[in-house]
Amino acid sequence: MEISLSFISDWLAASIRSAAPLMLVSVGGVYVERTGIFNIGMEGMMLAGALAAIAGSFFTGSTFVATICAMAAGGVLGIAHAYLTVSRRANQIISGLAINILALGATNMLFARLFPAVKTRCRLYPVLAPEGLHDIPFLGPVIFSQSVIIWIAFILPLAAAWVMYRTTWGLNIRAVGDHPHAVATAGLSVFRLKYVGVILSGLCSGLGGSALVLSELGYFAPNITAGRGFIVLAALVVGKWNPIWAAVACLFFGGADALQLRVQAFGAVIPYQFLVMLPYLLTIAALAGFVGRTVGPKTVGQPYDPERL
Amino acid sequence: MNRNETNSLWLPGLGAIVLSGARPLFAIALALLASAGMIWASGVNPFTAYAALAQGAFGNIASLANTCVRATPLLLGGIGVAVGLKAGLLNVGVEGQIYAGGAAATAVGIIALPVSPWLHLVLAVLAGFLGGGLWATIPAYLRAYRGISEIVVTLMMNYIGLYFISWLVEFPGILAEEGAVFPQSPLVLKSAQLPILIRGTSLHTGLILGVGLAVFFFLLLRFSPFGFRTRMVGGNPEAAQYAGISVKRQILIVILVAGGMGGLAGTGEVLGLKLRLFDAFSGGVGYEAIAVALLANGNPLGVIFSALFFGALKAGANKMQIVTGIEASMAIVVLALAVLFVIAIGFGERKLGAIRKAKERNQTEREAQAYGD
Repeated sequence: MEISLSFISDWLAASIRSAAPLMLVSVGGVYVERTGIFNIGMEGMMLAGALAAIAGSFFTGSTFVATICAMAAGGVLGIAHAYLTVSRRANQIISGLAINILALGATNMLFARLFPAVKTRCRLYPVLAPEGLHDIPFLGPVIFSQSVIIWIAFILPLAAAWVMYRTTWGLNIRAVGDHPHAVATAGLSVFRLKYVGVILSGLCSGLGGSALVLSELGYFAPNITAGRGFIVLAALVVGKWNPIWAAVACLFFGGADALQLRVQAFGAVIPYQFLVMLPYLLTIAALAGFVGRTVGPKTVGQPYDPERL
Repeated sequence: MNRNETNSLWLPGLGAIVLSGARPLFAIALALLASAGMIWASGVNPFTAYAALAQGAFGNIASLANTCVRATPLLLGGIGVAVGLKAGLLNVGVEGQIYAGGAAATAVGIIALPVSPWLHLVLAVLAGFLGGGLWATIPAYLRAYRGISEIVVTLMMNYIGLYFISWLVEFPGILAEEGAVFPQSPLVLKSAQLPILIRGTSLHTGLILGVGLAVFFFLLLRFSPFGFRTRMVGGNPEAAQYAGISVKRQILIVILVAGGMGGLAGTGEVLGLKLRLFDAFSGGVGYEAIAVALLANGNPLGVIFSALFFGALKAGANKMQIVTGIEASMAIVVLALAVLFVIAIGFGERKLGAIRKAKERNQTEREAQAYGD
């Protein structure tokens, strides 16, 4: 494997493309876990979003409609997760797990129904390549030839961090996962905040799914997300439930993913499998305390019961 | 809480028990009904589809054998989840344990050992159990001694296992078969293969192993001191600590045993069905096993029926796809919906439990008052 400037710029551009879906999902992930709800169903919500995006783009030809479809698909599953875990106080892991299995099976069924044996490429998100900037060496191919969804993926975590740390509503979100009873005492609706958090994660997961299929692929395949929702869970732990650090972690994992594809293609000393394992290994290391101290939202995983302190 | 309200909501004790037993069955019925709706919406008569499904699951010896083959990993992995549930632990790492156990069993199964064939098989199965257990040591240690949630760690271990196996069968000199077109291990030797029960089918002895272990774990959890400690840790860890139980050690052992059962699920697949190790050979069965165990309410005997039911569903769904064109993945949609319905109904029961407690508390308060007077 020869390391040249064009190899590096190529790899960085691919890293960004590979990280963008994760970054979008991680924004919702930070919010939902800050409200005290685990959402391992983000994998399934992302998968549902990916199929909905392809269907929307295929049947209407509009990427805007496709985005709405994708977010709606993720949002509906988000509402289901919110209803079960907040209103019904069901186990959050079990609900998320069932949503993942449901999405996997249902997308397989629907995909076979909607697109019988056709591998048509759909309309993709437009690429933002400003005249002039596009031709800058190195920066041009890395930054100024990416599709619009990737720009959104970089702006969204910044906006999410601003809302979370600079607005009252963001404070409420941060408080509800740590001290739900205090939030209730302050006269706020714990249920509403948790619902918003979960549905937000559904919307973001759907958006991430659409970024996965409509930024360069243009088609759907069964289980196309292949564990990316879990990588986001890993990024939340490594990024300590902060929207910006979680996005940075996603970027790092995207870089590892882009590198492993190149390692597979060119061959190298490190087996590519160990690069793909990296997010999961890092998460365990972070949880075990090898990489700094990681403490999640205090009540994450526990159902909120207003009558029990 | 309003006292009158609790009284009007209160059901007799028997009702609550019937409710708890019937809950999964009711949820499965609802899931089948919802799926019938989806089948009907895609333009196929649900009765035709379900008839084809039943035909494919129970129609003849071959389909019955297929049902049992599909049920075996769900059963073995499901027991691993059920054991954890009794101690209040959720082992979502079955998928990873399947890979680890399958790899360990393969490693022993492909070497010609100078022992009798039966011993070779026993050693390979034991290796599978140990492999799964070994895979669970990290989450077990972290949960028991560092208080880190076993859920996230076992979840992450699934993907580490998936890629680890992918490396094992690809990297020359470990488990990879030389000169193979696809990355895979050599065939497991005849002496280490699980014997076939019915000639001409792929029904292997893994099913018997699973049923035997389900009974074993049922008895162990219900009647042994180990089972008592496990249930106590699951019910109230603080009380268990006061009662002199080493909660940490118990948690460690339970996760290791649960991991071992996950490993056996992979062992059965490798030594009984696939006969070699290859990339992603499990394909998500580990996640389905969790759902199967939940539908059985964490009861090892219940897991037998739950696993057979979903084995039948998966086996029959293939036939249904051939006859009606409805995708076979409908089977896992039914599984997922059943779990979702179970937890959606679950609240009512817990509410009843809370109400019962409140009523008891009121009762004691009243008695204490009467005593005081």
